[in-house]
Amino acid sequence: MTDNTDIDEQLLEAILNRLLPAIGEVPAAGQMKLVPEIIRLSGRQARFQNQFSNALRVFKSTNLEFRSTTVDEQDDAIKAFEAEHPELFGSLLTISYIVYYKDSRVHKRIGWSGRTPQPDGNEMEPWDESVLENVRKREPFWRQV
Amino acid sequence: MTVTRRIDAVQNQKLDMTISNDTSQKIVDILVIGAGASGGAAAAWLAEAGFSVKCLEQGYWQDPSKYASASKDYEFEMLTNWAPDPNVRQRDEDYPVNDSNSPITPVMFNGVGGSTILWTAHTPRFHPSDFRVKTLDGVADDWPISYDELDEFYDLNDEVMGCSGINGDPANPPRSPRQMPPLPLGKDGKKLISGFEKLGWHWWPSDSYVNSQRYGEERDACNFCGHNHMGCYQRAKSSTDLTYWPRALRSGATIETGARVRRVTTDELGRVTGAEYVDSKGNERRQRARAVIMAANGIGTPRLLLNSVSTAHAEGLANSSGLVGKNLMFHPFAMISGTFPEKMNTWQGPLGNIAMSQEFYETDKSRGFVRGYTYQFQRSLGPAWIANGGFRDPVPWGKGHHDELEKRLGSVMAIAVIGEDLPEEHNTVELDPELTDSDGIPTPRLNYTLSKNSRDQLDHAIENAKKALKAAGADDIYVDPMMRQSGWHLMGTARMGNDPTRSVVNKWGQSHDVDNLFIVDGSVFVTGAAVNPTPTIQALALRTADYIVSNRQDIKG
Ligand SMILES: Cc1cc2nc3c(=O)[nH]c(=O)nc-3n(C[C@H](O)[C@H](O)[C@H](O)COP(=O)(O)OP(=O)(O)OC[C@H]3O[C@@H](n4cnc5c(N)ncnc54)[C@H](O)[C@@H]3O)c2cc1C
Ligand code: SF4
Repeated sequence: MTDNTDIDEQLLEAILNRLLPAIGEVPAAGQMKLVPEIIRLSGRQARFQNQFSNALRVFKSTNLEFRSTTVDEQDDAIKAFEAEHPELFGSLLTISYIVYYKDSRVHKRIGWSGRTPQPDGNEMEPWDESVLENVRKREPFWRQV
Repeated sequence: MTVTRRIDAVQNQKLDMTISNDTSQKIVDILVIGAGASGGAAAAWLAEAGFSVKCLEQGYWQDPSKYASASKDYEFEMLTNWAPDPNVRQRDEDYPVNDSNSPITPVMFNGVGGSTILWTAHTPRFHPSDFRVKTLDGVADDWPISYDELDEFYDLNDEVMGCSGINGDPANPPRSPRQMPPLPLGKDGKKLISGFEKLGWHWWPSDSYVNSQRYGEERDACNFCGHNHMGCYQRAKSSTDLTYWPRALRSGATIETGARVRRVTTDELGRVTGAEYVDSKGNERRQRARAVIMAANGIGTPRLLLNSVSTAHAEGLANSSGLVGKNLMFHPFAMISGTFPEKMNTWQGPLGNIAMSQEFYETDKSRGFVRGYTYQFQRSLGPAWIANGGFRDPVPWGKGHHDELEKRLGSVMAIAVIGEDLPEEHNTVELDPELTDSDGIPTPRLNYTLSKNSRDQLDHAIENAKKALKAAGADDIYVDPMMRQSGWHLMGTARMGNDPTRSVVNKWGQSHDVDNLFIVDGSVFVTGAAVNPTPTIQALALRTADYIVSNRQDIKG
């Protein structure tokens, strides 16, 4: 199993900037210091362990000058990688989205409470039987045998 | 037949699961392999009737207070350590399944409770017509039993698992009062239902084994966290580790966890004598028993039977028909989602326990296919789940990302199609010639192709689901014509029947070849119907156990 120790963090930041651009008061993802968390989480389970570091390695091998190219060129490079290596790109995108949407600055912007689903759960209006009014009028239609 | 209600009213004794790991190897009356939905039901019934019962389970007890829905990394956990696909999850207790020859990947959980740890607990029943498909529609085979014969076991199972729902569904025969009122529909559920109402199509609040109020032993009401698929922290979703197993253990049954069965053993006459297994420390062990019940699910059971070759059973145990591992059925799932213009907080409430429609359930030959399908209504979850696609394509990265995420979050709902998949012998579970699990035991390989009938059904369902979503006011409709990760219903691989040359077990779940071997999981299904299968699996397991109690006292030591 590959580990995540040789990750090019600056390259990852540059990619993140293009995946999740700045909006409102939230900077682009590459400037949010998400990289250590991405590396930590992706190293924690088999699904990402190999795929994620491989994705960056393969991307880097064909995009050595990525950080010094224009943003349009960067977008083109990412799109080419996405088309050529959908699985590798998918794992990079998935883990990036997971970590981005864990961030309290992002929660604030999108109006997300940021609570874990448990222990508090959510409120719901109680069951209201009147909704059955129409469907109850229907004759039984299951097939008799 | 009158069923004696041996599984009595709920007892309120507390049980310390940590002291319930039985590693002794004394001979038992009944050895149950697998502690999931069916194994739990059979074990409780038999233990309460005085049989000595031991279960070997390769996984472990789960602690609900540690479920990932209370972890800050829950959106990571659901795709990794709590992923439903064992090939992704890769826990020590999981075994790999070679699915490279199947468009559908298997999903399951290995532990006490089995796949009910992760399930949605959407619990409709078969229709009477589902047991008679040959007679009615000239396809597949009839079951050797009828709906009426199963009815009281369905009821009994509802009582133990705890069912929220309401009587009066015109698409189904009348049934006994549900234990709890239905789960609330929510603003989102009502919105989706409005589409069906406008079209004049059937819908009904789903029967669910999810507590709408406190029910069972220390089991709270659902608090609408939305995350059934990672185990229920509230213990509101019924799983057999919380329902049947405590009762079984109180009646003297035992479970050995971390115990992976290598093969079922037989004597020179071919009768089963117990099982060889690898214990949690890696030691090779042997458990002797007077009878064996297979409850390892529709993939795990054929795998074990095929691994249990002996002189008396050269092609695998109970396989004189050659049908062990054949006729694998899933329910091919299509998912049609839509985005509503309004925000409805669609992450509030259990993901798939709103309502269902069976407007197109029964055969109508003018549609160009036989049998039919159920629609199961679905909510959606939080931001990372939405960004990563949820039931549809991921939110695009780059410039348009933020607007699109905002549009979908709290507004996406979906209609899942559960189509009836008819049995075909070329759809199989077989042993992989190379792949093994961590104990060196050969693992299953799936071969599955979708039939034309199933495809036609799904296509019909997709067009109608689009109409329903539009009628409800959704736009941006997205179709996944067949979800890949949807092999949650594992059926047909050791089918039931009266003819020993055309089936593996008889109508009591007893092997035609070996009179002290029984199968109680979804393997025994003759056909799959178009509903989630577990109430039927558990009702059949109770029925088999009841048969043993009534007719096989000789098994008692
Ligand atoms: C994500 C998900 C959602 C689902 N939703 C629904 C739903 O809404 N409604 C519904 O009706 N059904 C649903 N299901 C399906 C339902 O969970 C199964 O139908 C049911 O659990 C099958 O019961 P079983 O006893 O056959 O097998 P399982 O519950 O899978 O249990 C089998 C057990 O056998 C053990 N085992 C296997 N091999 C060995 C071995 N060699 N040695 C020792 N132990 C072994 C396993 O570890 C496992 O614990 C869902 C399943 C999943 C995964
Ligand atoms: S939605 Fe309800 S049943 Fe599902 S996990 Fe949350 S509390 Fe449990």
